[in-house]
Amino acid sequence: MSEIMAKTEEIMKKGKALGADEVIATTVFGEYRQLRFSNNQIDIGVAWDDYTTNVLLTWQKRVVATQIKNFQNITPTMEQLFKLAKASKENPMYGGVVQGKFKYAKPMADKSIRDVENPSEYIYEAIAAAQRKIGKNIDAGGILFTKYEQVFLVSSEGPEGQDERSAIELSIRAFAERDESGHGVECNSSLKGFNPARAGEKAGEIAKMAKNPKAGKTGKFDIIFEPLFWGSMLGAYGMMGSAFFVLTKMSVFADKMGQKVGPAIVTIRDNPGKYSVSNRVFDDEGAPVKETVFIDKGVLKTYFHNTSTAKLFKTQTTGHAGLVQPMPWSLEMDAGDMTKDEMFEDTKRGLYVTNTWYTRFQNYATGDFSTIPRDGIFLIENGEIKESWKEIRLSDNILNLLANIAGISKERMHVHWWGEADPPSLSPYVLARNIQITRPE
Amino acid sequence: MEKDIVDYCLELAKSKKIEYAEARALDTNVENMVIKNGLLDAFAVSKDSGFCVRILADGGLGFASSNKWTKQEAVKVVNLAYKLAKNAKRKDKIKFAEEKAVRTKWDVKQKKKIENVSAEGKIERLMEIDKAIMSQKTNVVARTLVYQSTLTEKYFVNTEGSIISSFVPRIEVTPFGVTIVEGGKMEQLPFKWFGYTGGWEAFEKWKLEEDLTREVQVLQRLLREGKAVKPGKMDLVCGPEVVGIACHESCGHPMEADRILGREMSQAGRSFIYPGGPYWIGTQIGSELVTIIDDPAIENSYGYYLYDDEGIKARPRYLYKKGVINEFLQNRETAAKLGTRSNGASRSINYDREAIVRMANTYLQPGDMTEEEIFEDIKYGIFMNSFTEWNIDDVRFNQRYIGREAYIIEKGELKAPVARPIIETTTKTFWMAVDGVSKKVGFVSAVCGKGDPGQGVPVDTGGPLARLRGVYIK
Repeated sequence: MSEIMAKTEEIMKKGKALGADEVIATTVFGEYRQLRFSNNQIDIGVAWDDYTTNVLLTWQKRVVATQIKNFQNITPTMEQLFKLAKASKENPMYGGVVQGKFKYAKPMADKSIRDVENPSEYIYEAIAAAQRKIGKNIDAGGILFTKYEQVFLVSSEGPEGQDERSAIELSIRAFAERDESGHGVECNSSLKGFNPARAGEKAGEIAKMAKNPKAGKTGKFDIIFEPLFWGSMLGAYGMMGSAFFVLTKMSVFADKMGQKVGPAIVTIRDNPGKYSVSNRVFDDEGAPVKETVFIDKGVLKTYFHNTSTAKLFKTQTTGHAGLVQPMPWSLEMDAGDMTKDEMFEDTKRGLYVTNTWYTRFQNYATGDFSTIPRDGIFLIENGEIKESWKEIRLSDNILNLLANIAGISKERMHVHWWGEADPPSLSPYVLARNIQITRPE
Repeated sequence: MEKDIVDYCLELAKSKKIEYAEARALDTNVENMVIKNGLLDAFAVSKDSGFCVRILADGGLGFASSNKWTKQEAVKVVNLAYKLAKNAKRKDKIKFAEEKAVRTKWDVKQKKKIENVSAEGKIERLMEIDKAIMSQKTNVVARTLVYQSTLTEKYFVNTEGSIISSFVPRIEVTPFGVTIVEGGKMEQLPFKWFGYTGGWEAFEKWKLEEDLTREVQVLQRLLREGKAVKPGKMDLVCGPEVVGIACHESCGHPMEADRILGREMSQAGRSFIYPGGPYWIGTQIGSELVTIIDDPAIENSYGYYLYDDEGIKARPRYLYKKGVINEFLQNRETAAKLGTRSNGASRSINYDREAIVRMANTYLQPGDMTEEEIFEDIKYGIFMNSFTEWNIDDVRFNQRYIGREAYIIEKGELKAPVARPIIETTTKTFWMAVDGVSKKVGFVSAVCGKGDPGQGVPVDTGGPLARLRGVYIK
């Protein structure tokens, strides 16, 4: 057993010795690096190293938590935590944490991500790719981010394991002119196959097409979503799939289990697989993660659960435990049978939207919302891009959007961007019919 | 906190060929509680403690942090920050605007110390609020209360000789998803933030039982009596919450100099204000009644601070003044680029995040009208007291606010509640339409998002009642 694992176990045992019912200690040693750039230059290089042990302790259905930094003050911290548990209030709905010994998949983290010698080269590669599409005179900004985490988990209920998680992400937004921009991302768990030029090309291609945008119009449109845009929508569906948000009525999926919520071509699952920037082998309780089908052929199949919420819903944990609430790790929408070109051919009058931000809800239970498309927005007439647009808002209902999906592409992209396309997803192009667009009046 | 390690970092940085360096450390005692549908879901208590170093070398910036308090780690952090700065290899070198060194200590007093309230007392207080939400004769199907307190000790030193120590207690309660169902119809209060810089006395100021009971009554009345608005141009009176969000979104954000210069282009976006563009300092953006101030030094406000995270003394910033674009929010980097001085707007949420340009407490300056005068000559219009969904484009010009509590105004009097009236407009149209501003200012707290990785900073937003003439409501 490694020294770190031994220290983590010591924390768990300290909690048990004090009289706790359950204790889970998870130590994360994380190395995070980021280069931020704008106006084609590096603005700042940022590095943050984190040495934290997260502790969950329960006593007579009282749930308390703390963090220990760099294994400092273990005994007083645990004593204080147990005291807090005794002062806390019973939650009769609390259903425990996962029990048993598990054999986890072997972590496949890429250690070379820790030692990238000249990370700025990736940025310049992406900028150059955008320039090849638009021309030399561009203004580009974004980030290059790398993550390497070593995770050590010990639970008094049996689970014990080690994980290593790695990721590299590049995000680039390229401007040809002030209102002519495109955004591309490149996300990978490993340096192998990481292609920053792909993100630059995407950003450049969209920015070039976005020439001379006109003010858009209000109305109902068929809409083709770029995978980056759709990644934001998948994030909204995924969040609402968490049992926590179902229980708090912050979800359109409450009371819809087993019901049809979309057409048969829609299957959405969660899978923090090896390729994902959110790769992992166990959740925060130590339950093994696995592929979880959330919506199967249009039918709501499960919420995302930890052990406690699963008990409330009379089911099993799906391996999505966070400390307080279950959340999806990495969403996947199953590929469809269309090409992007076929989606355009199928669109008499519609829009092609490439990115969005600021998605907000009037009412999370009903799903009325709006989001603001940004970067390239294009009017399609008879299958062809007619003109470039700006200044519109997609103002509809998120269940209606799901129900109106008419086409899904074969091609999918692994996307993750800032707080918008989050959590990461494997996202296709999506065609949805009859969606409301509004604009300032 | 081991201040000697922070000082050691600075000495190490000084030994390198640099233009500037600073070291900053934070010790924060954090408490979090989630009360979900009347049950305590979890109570978390922890101490976060760490330090960071930011170095300007060869015109590049490097930042590194750690929560391992050893001298060995300090060496690693300084070397990393220096390497990152040198590797930037910028063509146009970053410079910082000149500032004098500051040596000071400041802290925020708590009338009733948060740490002196027992865990049982804190839970009990939150449970009382939960009971108040449930006290109305309606079917509340969900409600969640999130509590957070932070007691933050901070220490800042830089190579120019600044040494600043501070202690700031903050407390926040966020009710969300308060949902009622009657007659098969559902209404919801998605979120509401209550924030305070100070101690446990925050609860006396907030009057949460009263406030949230009223919110439930508003939802109930909306379900029972809410009417749809007939779309068209009409007068609109915005309450402090709506005025505050508009000040924050369509004045505060576009006036952040880092956005104006493009540094946030890939995340939070740019601004409709930019060098060589149609809007700049001196351009009219609103009516003469529109003066919007961002002031960090409002006592007990959620965005309160006296010195920013570059050691600059806080002061009120007059962003829009009498309808004219007046002063951007600046840090030392943007100020140098724009040939001015920092106005103390550089903030960071923790030791592991760089400080960037942020708002503090942004509000519309009060006018000289009574609330009665604001309403009395409106023949037909809408009073939007609070909002639910809102958003704005990434240059901060195209925005929309949807009323949560809203009423029809007829002949100067409030009539039936209106269900979800929408104003979808532009920054200039909104602020140019203001023709009346009342005397009394109200504030609402929020957590403002910006930065990558995201840094949610505490802020207040607010203003008096503002009357807008002839705007399109749907």
